[in-house]
Amino acid sequence: MSESFEDAMGILERESDHPERFCDAFLSVFPVGGAAVSTIGQVLGSETIAASDPVAARLDELQFDLGEGPCWDAMRSANPVLVPMIRTSGPRLWPAFTESIVTDGVSSVFAFPLSVGPLRFGAVDLYSAEPVDLSDTQTQQAGAMAEVISRHVLRRALTSIGGDENEAVSAYSRRLVHQASGVVLAQIDVSADDARLVIQGQAFASSRPMMDVAQDILDGRLRFTREGSRIEVAQ
Amino acid sequence: MNDVTQQRLLETFVKLADTLIDDYDVVDLLQVLVDTCRDVLDTTAAGILLADSRGELEVVASTSEASRLVEIMQLSAEQGPCIESYRSGRSVSVPDIEVSKDEWWQFRGSALAQGFRSMDALPLRLRDTTIGTLNLLRSEPGAAPEDTIRAAQAFADVATIGILHERTLRESAILSEQLQAALNSRIVIEQAKGVISHTRGVSIDDAFALMRQYARSHSVGLSIVAARIVDRSLRL
Repeated sequence: MSESFEDAMGILERESDHPERFCDAFLSVFPVGGAAVSTIGQVLGSETIAASDPVAARLDELQFDLGEGPCWDAMRSANPVLVPMIRTSGPRLWPAFTESIVTDGVSSVFAFPLSVGPLRFGAVDLYSAEPVDLSDTQTQQAGAMAEVISRHVLRRALTSIGGDENEAVSAYSRRLVHQASGVVLAQIDVSADDARLVIQGQAFASSRPMMDVAQDILDGRLRFTREGSRIEVAQ
Repeated sequence: MNDVTQQRLLETFVKLADTLIDDYDVVDLLQVLVDTCRDVLDTTAAGILLADSRGELEVVASTSEASRLVEIMQLSAEQGPCIESYRSGRSVSVPDIEVSKDEWWQFRGSALAQGFRSMDALPLRLRDTTIGTLNLLRSEPGAAPEDTIRAAQAFADVATIGILHERTLRESAILSEQLQAALNSRIVIEQAKGVISHTRGVSIDDAFALMRQYARSHSVGLSIVAARIVDRSLRL
């Protein structure tokens, strides 16, 4: 725990192109032994983006295969999943996963969702060999770091699958997208850049042009709502 | 041009000159210009388009925020008088839209459907560089009187000077930066319209009117008001 949370956030903001450094940021701030960042589920598929060590990578791989575990729960609930004592609470929550990691010497597991707006597409997984717990502040901080990573991961994914095709093409449609970004930022209280990313993500997830999604937002056919950290989309 | 019109033109130029020697908001200035064209030059609707770094023209100010008018101007910027004026650096007069060029069919259809019958596009020109166009749309067919066109070109020149400031005449790098700055303020204005439309439950067009009203009554630039609405430090 050599670096402050602010330093780690600064590094994460800057290092969008270096996912291998995402894990270090968590290890420098929190009392954990390993970290992994993975996408899971339908939206972006299941893939480990970064892992600090083989055990961290294995924890995520197991969860992909078994379809259960803290990452899945964090993603589905859009909330952190904190398990300071996996040996006692694990068997009830995720019997197959807990059984599989008996020999890995893992005591505590923490997972934080990767999400942008209503899109949930992965999780950051932290583990410790020694039993540890995260304070409320630490939990919030790790959640904030996962949010920054979420934006990087979604942007990279949109770029790699040819996000340009999804870009609004004409000046007129760009105008609609800007207007819709304003509506979304007011609906869920995010920055204009994030609002745009939410629209882009929504367009990607529903395989539609950004302009159509923007038009639906302007006409009120598509609405975003926020409850705590959860953002939902209503049609 | 009658005496009343001449008097109003004079007043407008005095007002514009006053604006230009003080700190001013470019988008505000362009808005005053298009509104003046409508009120003084016997024009139904007017709009200014600026070219971005890729040479694509975008509406930065128009007399109505109604999406249909903006659409007509954008179509005219793809295949129509606007793009022709931008490319040639000359004014393009279309006395009867109904019999305009074949390849302008999209613009023609959209303009006629909205009740426009004639149009003039004038270049925003600085020496050899054209940075955008001023567009005047009328609901009656017929060519505009020559003095109207001369006055409109003078407005277009004021717009050009207003956008570029005199100190940028020398450097083309700064020129494109300032153009981009004007276009970027437009992005924030569009976003702010979205915010207000949601928070006040009004249409996008009415949202613009509310924002402009606030900017005027508080003597703050439109771009500044828009930026504060988008960063949520101001709630209308």
